[in-house]
Amino acid sequence: MKFRLSDRQVGVLFMLPLLVAVGVFLVWPIAEAVRLSFVRYNPLRPDEQPFVGFDNYVFVLQDPLFWESFWQALVWTGWSTVLQALIGVGMALLLHQPLRGMNAFRGLLLFPYIVPTVVIALNWRWLFNAEIGIINHLLLSAGIIDDRIAWLSTPNMAMGSAILLNVWKYTPFVVIVVLARLQTIPTELYDAAKVDGAGALRRFRDITLPQLAEVLAVVIVFRTIWTFNKFEEIYLLTRGGPGTSTYNLALYAFDQSIANLRMGVGAAAGVIMLLLLLAGSVLYIRVSGFGREDKSA
Amino acid sequence: MRPWVAAILYAVLGAITFVVCFPLLWAISTSLKPKDEIFRWPPTLIPENVTFESYRQLLFGSGVASAPGAGTPPSDFFLQWFANSVIVSVGSTAISITVATLAAYSLTRFRFWGQRAVPYVAILGYMVPSVIFVFPMFLTMVALDLTDTLLSLILGYVCITLPFCLWLMWAFFRGVPIEIEEAALVDGASRLQVFRQIVLPVAMPGIIAASIFSLIVSWNDYLFGRVFMNSMENLPLTVGVMHFFDGTHVDWGLMMASSVLMTLPMAILFGFMQRHLVAGFGAGAVKG
Repeated sequence: MKFRLSDRQVGVLFMLPLLVAVGVFLVWPIAEAVRLSFVRYNPLRPDEQPFVGFDNYVFVLQDPLFWESFWQALVWTGWSTVLQALIGVGMALLLHQPLRGMNAFRGLLLFPYIVPTVVIALNWRWLFNAEIGIINHLLLSAGIIDDRIAWLSTPNMAMGSAILLNVWKYTPFVVIVVLARLQTIPTELYDAAKVDGAGALRRFRDITLPQLAEVLAVVIVFRTIWTFNKFEEIYLLTRGGPGTSTYNLALYAFDQSIANLRMGVGAAAGVIMLLLLLAGSVLYIRVSGFGREDKSA
Repeated sequence: MRPWVAAILYAVLGAITFVVCFPLLWAISTSLKPKDEIFRWPPTLIPENVTFESYRQLLFGSGVASAPGAGTPPSDFFLQWFANSVIVSVGSTAISITVATLAAYSLTRFRFWGQRAVPYVAILGYMVPSVIFVFPMFLTMVALDLTDTLLSLILGYVCITLPFCLWLMWAFFRGVPIEIEEAALVDGASRLQVFRQIVLPVAMPGIIAASIFSLIVSWNDYLFGRVFMNSMENLPLTVGVMHFFDGTHVDWGLMMASSVLMTLPMAILFGFMQRHLVAGFGAGAVKG
């Protein structure tokens, strides 16, 4: 039997899988997370889930570890984002130069972005190994340090190593976005400025930077939101240690849910992260003018 | 450009490239050293005695008959983990891409109530970190009795791949002109024929780019595998290799060899996707 669908029916039919998927894979887990944050959940007795009101939130907000994680997350996010933006713009400008063989350099410099986090964490643990790591060897033989540094077992150094890992992996993200934008700046602008006698520095300040401003703002908001919530980069490198000196909120939520078996408390921390993220998204929408274009469509 | 300017730029580029590539070069170097050379101080930059022992151990098993009660060494599971990772990455990508392509086409060719909400939903979904999805999804898998199965991982990864696949396909279809389709429809072709014969071939570059991003995200994930899976034989590669740290003595050669083997498929994909990369990022469709 052959039957023909009307145009309208095809349109609806094509949307159905997405509606189901958004329900199952987006709305449901978030709704579940919110519900969990209001109950006491013991994995050993999953059938008893007494409603506890805001107890989990009170617990989280009174937990010194939560606040420690929060402040450390700010340090981790601030340094990572600033370094990524600065290095990223510098590298993008360099890669934008009309040189032979640039495609090969672009490929190699963007490569870290696709390397699995587990691989980078393993490599970092090996590079920064206190006893036989190559970093200590290079620094010792260059005379920069006199004694081996215990990179991953001193609080500040562990945070620094984690930030370095994050910068190594995600600077390519900034590079690609900025590079794509650089390629759309009309060359006439530069030609005109040259005719008017503007030097390279002037041209950068008066043409390149203003043209990049918008895309940079968007990238920085994005990187800030994502870096703030990163889990694997820290967990796989330091497990939050030494002690709790590299915890952020994602590790805190994970720890409460898995190690302490307090799924409700973990969910409450997750919901707090979600609220911070929504605030960040509002900022993103303001900055980028996101959604304006489809009003005209 | 003056030659000396070019020379300086090349020198700077070369230095940066070396620093960026160094961790991976060092991993390759370590993976080719025999055990005594790995622990030598000062370390040798290039292996003096090249050996493929670590790779052999991963790919063909340790060959050591384990003592009774000691269990199979983790490295013997390497190929199994590799296969698991391939299955779950391809599985979740297939689901996300199919759903996203159909919906993106429908969104750009038809008018619906609530259509404007879709990009907001996509952007929200792709900003939400995995650590928020993972526990509710885990409890759902427990309720469905699906924990410790590859299917549970495939479904879990749809959470993190679908939003940006939708975003990318939606941006892609907005850029595909509608006129050829209209002409075919006027000539009496059905909407489904138009979709199969005209739209899909045109959409292929977008589908490939979105698939590659999706494969990378699911291949690289650690958190879902860590929470969902228990048995050694069901782990994805990322979770599996972390078990190499379990013993008292860390075999760095084995660790670096698995790093190299784990990065290899992504490196090959990366070679294919380089020209799609800028387009994808330009559309803002990347999870990171």
